[in-house]
Amino acid sequence: VTALVVAGPAGLSEHDGGRGHPEQQARVFAAMNGVRALGLEDEVVYPAIREASLEELTRVHAPAYLAELEAFCARGGGAIDPDTYARPDSWTAARRAAGAGLAALAELERLGEGVAFVPVRPPGHHATPDRAMGFCLLNNVAVAAASRTARGERVLVVDWDVHHGNGTQDIFWDDPDVLYLSTHQHPLFPGTGRADEVGGPGAPGLTVNLPLPRGATGDVVRAAIDEVARGAIEEFRPDWVLVSCGFDAHRDDPLGELELSSGDFGELARVVSEFAPAPGRLALFLEGGYDPEALAASVEATLGALLGVRTDTPAPTTGGPGRAQLEAARDERRHAIDRVHTEVGP
Amino acid sequence: VTPRGVIVVGFDGSPDACSAVTWAARHAAAFGARLRVVHAVGLLEHAHLAGSSPPDGDAARRIAGDAGLDPAEVEWCVVDGDPCSALLREAEAEPATVLIVVGSRGSGAHAGTLLGSTSLELAEHASLPVTIVPAAAG
Repeated sequence: VTALVVAGPAGLSEHDGGRGHPEQQARVFAAMNGVRALGLEDEVVYPAIREASLEELTRVHAPAYLAELEAFCARGGGAIDPDTYARPDSWTAARRAAGAGLAALAELERLGEGVAFVPVRPPGHHATPDRAMGFCLLNNVAVAAASRTARGERVLVVDWDVHHGNGTQDIFWDDPDVLYLSTHQHPLFPGTGRADEVGGPGAPGLTVNLPLPRGATGDVVRAAIDEVARGAIEEFRPDWVLVSCGFDAHRDDPLGELELSSGDFGELARVVSEFAPAPGRLALFLEGGYDPEALAASVEATLGALLGVRTDTPAPTTGGPGRAQLEAARDERRHAIDRVHTEVGP
Repeated sequence: VTPRGVIVVGFDGSPDACSAVTWAARHAAAFGARLRVVHAVGLLEHAHLAGSSPPDGDAARRIAGDAGLDPAEVEWCVVDGDPCSALLREAEAEPATVLIVVGSRGSGAHAGTLLGSTSLELAEHASLPVTIVPAAAG
């Protein structure tokens, strides 16, 4: 067992969507139940969490957007779109969620080993440089990634949430120091994430989208990462691996229609951990996941797999559709990358 | 408006959106344009957690017909995404699009701020002309 850094929980009562909204504080409680189920107790390290500074946030968000969000919350908040809301204290909650990721990476560096889990809300991967959407206000994983690219390091972001992380993609679209890999159900909100979205002229091929049909099982998601994306990742040679670990690809989740079991997330975590260049270079950020029991079991399975703790989780799933889409995605990516190179010229 | 151009209008079933469809349909009829009515499906609506019934294409066609547009000229599109992004994607993917039309307030918006206002966000981000229709103008 190596060290487990838990940078959270954060985003509890101060950010509340009201009765019936699925993005609620019970999610973080469920995630922490998953941590506790590992039975590690005193071996878990809880670093102090601070709010991300404006300097840290403006690496990925427009200053005007940050000012607007702060003012919107100060005026009492409200609905931002049919899905997304802010409350008076949401500005603070969102900055703490972003700061938790920074604390996690700093703690990993101090320890020189271990893995980090960041159980925070509001989630982040739909937040673009200048827009809140999809329950997300600030892009937590992007703030963390940008803190390391600012030092000249290279960051792999793996996003296995059932929804495409359009915000993270937008932020790093043309950034040669970030490889963004997403597996997601498609079509589904937010409507982006086609395989031919491969990155801008400054980073052709460093956006890897592997859309999957509804009903896809864990073996297909594993193949997407392990077989289709592996070459690009190994060529990229990341210094850090950050995971947007939504658990709404679970078969019991009300917001998606993929068919993963909690055991599948353990398998995905094992595969992704192989891309970390050294101990202490892997951190997982909570994104979606809206069935509390499935969320807790999936957190337990994911962290258990990384820490070598045996867990009583359901078996990984196999046999769902999606292999053909993965093969098609390879071709679409190749053609799209060629197009970008052609447009850029020699 | 060039012949057979497309006017794209957002529709979430709110009174302002109804006015937007009416305004867009009148102008489509006057200029011989087709009308594409776009409804964006968000996270909550997809999961049947939105708290109200989603609008349907028949309602949009009826509004457009009442405004004098042949229902055959109305295309109903249901698109995944937040309202602003979905409208932009649909509008900009169709080369014949000449105009985007949206109500001045969707359900749940707040006057005077970019956050919470689909119409202001559209105006900020669109590469096409945008018409914002207040409820009374429909």
